[in-house]
Amino acid sequence: MNHLPTPADHADGFLRFDAVSRVYGSGPTSVRALGPITLDIHAGELVAIMGPSGSGKTTLLSLAGALDKPTQGRVLLHGSELSALSPDDCSRLRRQTVGFVFQDLNLLPGLTALENVALPLELDGVAQIEAHDQAREALQGVQLLELADRFPENLSGGEQQRVAIARAFVGQRSLLLADEPTGALDSVTGEIIMQLLRDHCGRGKTAVVATHNSAHAAWADRVLFLRDGELINESN
Amino acid sequence: MSIRHGILAILAEQPAHGYWLKSHFEEYTAGMWPLNVGQVYSTLARLERDGMVEPVGEDDAGRQAWRITPAGRAALRAWYDTPVATGEARDELAIKVLLAIAGKRADAGRIIDNQRLATMQKLQQFTRVKKDTGADSDLAWVLLLDLLTARLEAEINWLDRCEQRLKGAGR
Repeated sequence: MNHLPTPADHADGFLRFDAVSRVYGSGPTSVRALGPITLDIHAGELVAIMGPSGSGKTTLLSLAGALDKPTQGRVLLHGSELSALSPDDCSRLRRQTVGFVFQDLNLLPGLTALENVALPLELDGVAQIEAHDQAREALQGVQLLELADRFPENLSGGEQQRVAIARAFVGQRSLLLADEPTGALDSVTGEIIMQLLRDHCGRGKTAVVATHNSAHAAWADRVLFLRDGELINESN
Repeated sequence: MSIRHGILAILAEQPAHGYWLKSHFEEYTAGMWPLNVGQVYSTLARLERDGMVEPVGEDDAGRQAWRITPAGRAALRAWYDTPVATGEARDELAIKVLLAIAGKRADAGRIIDNQRLATMQKLQQFTRVKKDTGADSDLAWVLLLDLLTARLEAEINWLDRCEQRLKGAGR
């Protein structure tokens, strides 16, 4: 059985794309969505990915989060090859190590902010009291503890994204993958979200964020430019 | 613009001598336009000639002080009331990209990629400064940073638009 990656497995090259390609379909109608790309993302880094629609940003995030498998090459997290993980280990990885944030529809409407953040821990078997304690700590990290008992519909778009970030990093989760997390927000609120991600990465978490907004991307340590599935430039 | 209106704007608040005008102009505008004192005194001389300022004697240190006249206040009001001419098309980057697209010898796509990278690096630099700028920082400095980052963001948006339009035109 494949063991689940832990931080001790690989001190550097936290997330590695080793000659990774993703091709959809086969034969003359096949479409190359990504690659081949080789890329190292280090623990504690905030990396932004920019590029036009269809450039491969979402494919890259899906591969990094083990939601998809490469056609060629290897994606390694903490030194473990994701496509070699069993389905159970993949699910566990997504509960314990990786958090996702999307443009919207991040939170379950019937749960409070606290319950939303605690959910991945409880699904992973953590007792409710302990899960809620860790969720409160995560909400504190996004300066939203005072709104812990509110339901998503009573939170602004920016507050909902902050709850989603808290959930993505709750407990021992160390990698956040975000697809246009500021896309539905005004410019200033978007900057607050990027600043929060910046702060979390300063405390050792790692985040990869796809965005169309250059001012938001500029909060990252590195900005990767994709075009037609290829990495064309890198700014740092 | 000349520094005439800058000097009038500061004298509209209170009479002042040349060095005080220089240091306060620089402070109020977050240091974006450093002045030398000689430049301030020559401008004061021209403003006096035009009836917009007048001398009010010397301070304890023997420095000549100046105050604004009603004509100076009218000129300042007219300046504040007139929008600045923005949106000038003549710009080195625009000219470079347009010439590259018009000709056949330059690779417009590469020029766009290189410029986008350079502009993003600059935007990251300013954003790092912004990150280190606390809530109690000088408001003038914060607003100037906002302006500089907004211009860089607009440049990247224009480069993205150029790339899309070139692609749409099959170039």
